[in-house]
Amino acid sequence: MNNLENYKKAFLSTFPIKEEQLEKLEYNQIDEWDSIGHMGLMSELEEKFKITLDTDDIVDFSSFQKGKKILKKYKINI
Amino acid sequence: MPIASSLLKKPRLVKKLKDFYEYVKFNDGKVGTKTRGIDLNFNNACNLRCKYCFTNSPKGDHVKEYLDYGAIADLADQADELGYFEFDLQGGELLLQPKKLFKVLEAIKPERFYLYVTTNGYYLDKSMAERLADANVSRVSVSIDSMDEKVHDEIRGRKESWKRAIAALEHVRNAGMDPYLNITVGHYNANTDHFKQLLDYSKEKKYKTLLNVAVPAGMWQKAEQIICDDKDREYLRKIRKEYKNLVRNIWNPFDRTNEGILGCTTVNRLYITPIGDVLVCPYVHIKIGNIFKQSLKEIVEYGFKIKHFRNHSDLCLAGEDKSFIDRFMTKSGQTIFQPAEAKNIFSEDDYV
Repeated sequence: MNNLENYKKAFLSTFPIKEEQLEKLEYNQIDEWDSIGHMGLMSELEEKFKITLDTDDIVDFSSFQKGKKILKKYKINI
Repeated sequence: MPIASSLLKKPRLVKKLKDFYEYVKFNDGKVGTKTRGIDLNFNNACNLRCKYCFTNSPKGDHVKEYLDYGAIADLADQADELGYFEFDLQGGELLLQPKKLFKVLEAIKPERFYLYVTTNGYYLDKSMAERLADANVSRVSVSIDSMDEKVHDEIRGRKESWKRAIAALEHVRNAGMDPYLNITVGHYNANTDHFKQLLDYSKEKKYKTLLNVAVPAGMWQKAEQIICDDKDREYLRKIRKEYKNLVRNIWNPFDRTNEGILGCTTVNRLYITPIGDVLVCPYVHIKIGNIFKQSLKEIVEYGFKIKHFRNHSDLCLAGEDKSFIDRFMTKSGQTIFQPAEAKNIFSEDDYV
């Protein structure tokens, strides 16, 4: 599984959404991506990519697209 | 879309919430001794006369005492240092005295916490909701007893209570905070159409529904017939799967199967009274310290030395554990202002 597939899978296993929704998905856009869901997503990403996200990056992680840019800092190219 | 409530505006909160998440994850989904929340009752005066009030506010108990702003600021600093990430302001009815409420908010610095106000909603109009959102309040919880206006107003002891509470929740959402509809559930209403109507309304409106189990404390002390039995608990487990917007403090909020039990959160969620007494939770009226006499750290450490609060419990001690209730919550006159003293009621065997 490549990085993009892994990245998408983290979202799809955290939230009850369809793959087509991912590209434009933003924090708080769906009920499930609230503060609790956010922690679940961050944990899923950390496990999948074997990284520890900084607090600032968790705060900045406001959308599916923004997350791709943040993961670049951890040398994960999506 | 909630804006004021957004976690992403509160970096310090994110850090603490992540610590909590990691702790729970590596502790088999249980809360253990991790600090979670402060429930602060800084004044007990209220405009309603609810039949089941756990603070005895309708009896006028200590309604003229206030915790001072300096003490609240110090408490919030200590709580933040200890990793407490939730701060629930409750009364009494805090919107009776908005000037004082906003001073308290200033003292707490809500940008550090998932801060919420629990209210009966009577005075919560559009303008007040916007002011609360501007003050960095993340959530407002409004208690509703029934979808039948008359029933709600009868329980609350004042006409128009229902109408105003229902309207308040919409104001909360429109101002960008998280709207929580609080329901008290006990043996008398679990698994009834009456209760289901409330659940359905909250779900349809896309609110969160916080379930508080009825506890034999305050105005209901010794009313053991209200306590949920095994069948009621089974029903609650069932509806947890059906209504994804349901929240109970004892449930693991991170568990996606909607089955995990975080455990009873006594001491993890402390209750502070207007005279500075620290109780192990809002409903277990047992005192473990006073903020004017000990540091919060000392109080928490002492609280977790008591087995009943340290050890995991699948049941809410105050509302479901009959053995605990019989042993420790039935002292005559036991209230938030006359709590049982932990050092007097627990023996050596009760400590770790």
